[in-house]
Amino acid sequence: MEGNIASLGAGLAIGLGALGPGIGIGLLAAKAMEALGRNPEASGIIQQNMILAIAFAEAIAIYALVVAVIIKFV
Amino acid sequence: MSGIFGNPKLLVGLIVGSIVFLVSLAGGALGEAFGFGFLSAPIAVIQLPAEPFLPGELFPGYTIMNTMITTWIGIVLLLVLAYFATRRLSEVPSGIQNLVEVFIEFFFNLATNIAGPTKARRFFPLVMTIFLFIMVSNWLGILPGFGTIGWIESPEAVIHHKEEKAKDHHVDLSTINLQVFNDSGKFGIIPFGSLDDAVTAEEYEHNHGVAEGKRAGLLIPFLRSANTDVNTTLAIAIVAMVMVHFWGFSSLGIGGHLAKFINFKEGPIGFFVGILELIGEFAKVISFTFRLFGNIFAGEVLLISMAFLLPLIGIIPFLGLELFVGVIQAFIFAMLTLVFASISTIPHGGEGH
Repeated sequence: MEGNIASLGAGLAIGLGALGPGIGIGLLAAKAMEALGRNPEASGIIQQNMILAIAFAEAIAIYALVVAVIIKFV
Repeated sequence: MSGIFGNPKLLVGLIVGSIVFLVSLAGGALGEAFGFGFLSAPIAVIQLPAEPFLPGELFPGYTIMNTMITTWIGIVLLLVLAYFATRRLSEVPSGIQNLVEVFIEFFFNLATNIAGPTKARRFFPLVMTIFLFIMVSNWLGILPGFGTIGWIESPEAVIHHKEEKAKDHHVDLSTINLQVFNDSGKFGIIPFGSLDDAVTAEEYEHNHGVAEGKRAGLLIPFLRSANTDVNTTLAIAIVAMVMVHFWGFSSLGIGGHLAKFINFKEGPIGFFVGILELIGEFAKVISFTFRLFGNIFAGEVLLISMAFLLPLIGIIPFLGLELFVGVIQAFIFAMLTLVFASISTIPHGGEGH
């Protein structure tokens, strides 16, 4: 088989590591949409805070990606 | 049906678009597997650390990296913009001063909403600098020429570097892939369709070189996006967190600021929470660093891979994504610094106690 167990590790790292943040970002966006629907006038504030919170959740996925990249390329 | 076919410009656009798509699909790495591959080229070097700007050392013991050159270019760009915006300051702005004022006013209002008017004046210079520097660095990184123009490292040097880093200095030569250039004196150009010609280091040594008029090696770019280097993002994160704590100390006094992290007043649980907060401060530095680094480095790897897989047009939507991500990451870094700074200047019991 081509490659070695390090490549498998890299694939697993990012694959499993993106599960949690994916669900988290989906939940965040869902709640933001709900809030937007209830109160369209506050859309600017809701949007800004949603983007900030999504960045926090995405950072976890980025940590997993960095681990995968380090395994693969270093 | 007459929606699409009744509109000649749309129809022509669709036909040209699908022809370009098919050409690039056949010419890229996928077509290479089926025998076409006339546009393909070996994938560019993807590696984590920054590479030296020029081979050898300009100053003894210190190599200048290509990401450092990019930070210098970004700084010069921002200085030039600042010079032209403030050259003839007037009460009623016009021209570049107007544009820059719109920008800065938008962010100052945002900062005032988050941190309150007096604190916003204190925090705003650092926060705006962080935002502008990161945004300019990210946007510079997607210009043509970044990552594609560079100097060619000879195969001997490539093998030497890999052997230095590998375990017990032994490297399997068939795993090192070299690119093949059309040699014309000082310059080498990766020709179209050269994915076929790409040799491994083993074949290079076996054949003692490549064909006439060609050169093997790896392309090391002259310029590379600044935040693809962990050192840059770590530096910005350290500066941001040091300033956050400095503002905490100057607002609350040494005792007041430290009492948030080492507090004996609220019993053992309070003490434990304080220790956790202290660890959290270091975690913030790490999180700042890797959020920015991961986003921009992943974007760079994505651009390289898409350019490799689908040569002409594959990269277009991802350039748009990179533009967006560049702004968002700069905004997030700046806003988080602002939020942490405003939190650290609030006394431990909250305001109003």
